[in-house]
Amino acid sequence: MSGLPAETAAAAGLACCHVCLKLAPAALHRCPRCKASLHLRKPDSLQRTVALVVTAALLYIPANVLPIMRTDQLGQATDSTIIGGVVHLLHEGDYPIAVVIFIASVLVPLGKLFALSVLCLSVARRHPTSHHERARLYRLTELVGKWSMTDVFVVAILVTLIQLGGLLLITPGSAALAFAGLVIVTMLAAESFDPRLIWDHLGEADG
Amino acid sequence: MTGASGVIDGGRGAPERTACIECDLVVAIGELRDGERAMCPRCGHVITALRRDGFTRSLAFALAAGVLLVVANAFPFAALEAKGLEQVMTLPQTAVELARGGTAPLAVLVLGPIVVVPALILVTLVALLVPLRRRRSVPWLVPAGRLLFLLSPWSMVEVFVIGVLVSLVKIGAMASVVLGLSFWAYVGFVVCFSASLASIDRLETWREIEACTA
Repeated sequence: MSGLPAETAAAAGLACCHVCLKLAPAALHRCPRCKASLHLRKPDSLQRTVALVVTAALLYIPANVLPIMRTDQLGQATDSTIIGGVVHLLHEGDYPIAVVIFIASVLVPLGKLFALSVLCLSVARRHPTSHHERARLYRLTELVGKWSMTDVFVVAILVTLIQLGGLLLITPGSAALAFAGLVIVTMLAAESFDPRLIWDHLGEADG
Repeated sequence: MTGASGVIDGGRGAPERTACIECDLVVAIGELRDGERAMCPRCGHVITALRRDGFTRSLAFALAAGVLLVVANAFPFAALEAKGLEQVMTLPQTAVELARGGTAPLAVLVLGPIVVVPALILVTLVALLVPLRRRRSVPWLVPAGRLLFLLSPWSMVEVFVIGVLVSLVKIGAMASVVLGLSFWAYVGFVVCFSASLASIDRLETWREIEACTA
């Protein structure tokens, strides 16, 4: 790989094993310590990340349009969506819980998709500045990912706990599965993005 | 070492050369003292951190977490009372109920990250740390190390606790909920489990594995 900053491992033909962090010649193909495959950069990192981000964005639609939970009370069925649930909580005055669900189910997934798109775009355009900000954005993306599962767990507990002899019946809606899929796909997307790409164009602006 | 590279040196021993996994800067890491962290001088990523008796600490927490996880699965997690009826729920029942509702994939997606993956992580930790502490070479050291770091991002135990608390508030409006023994066992499990994983360092673990298998 030519044109890389001189002090990087890749410029010396060395790859840092992503499993055990051993620094080894990339020509070996397999890490001498843990036998994982060695790459200078994650293979097809941008393509994979973009593909997974698009998949997640598509899953976001059924996850929000379809009901996440169906409540049967005395023969009367009510479907509730994620947003509907947040609005209901607000009406009930449960502000802290409404905020938790809103952050975990709406803000985090959307923010993650946005952040990964920005990162991919900046790398594809060989953006020469704000490396530290983008590195921080990537770390944040990795950190918050799994918290979106909160709502799926809530549905699971409600379904299990509430079976009051026919009085009330709660079943999970198709959005629950779409949403769980969305969380997993965004986690895979963050995993497939190689943060080293952010730093590969360091100093290109000065020539 | 080239002059342009960052050098983090605690002072003792020959520095090990590695690269920052987040920005690929070549760094040399000297012997760290207890509680010291080596950070990438360019991007600030924490490359390695040393905790005295990290393996022993991690193993102790892992064993405690294992006991608590068994308790959390064996006893009532929560009970719901309304109109004279009581509904008791255990953790494995969550999966059964979800699967019966025709959403088997959802059952896997729920019980996987809160019970199955953490349980696998604990077994792997014990299988790895017992021989590492005694500096004994066993054939499964490398596969166990790889499995451990492959599984760890997929545990969502702390997210589940938040999920439980949110559901309690949601149900609270309709019926009264009593938390069972298993809930508290699960909270204890989450604390021990997180402490166990936080006590081991990736680079340090692999250096030990290498030293034992060489």
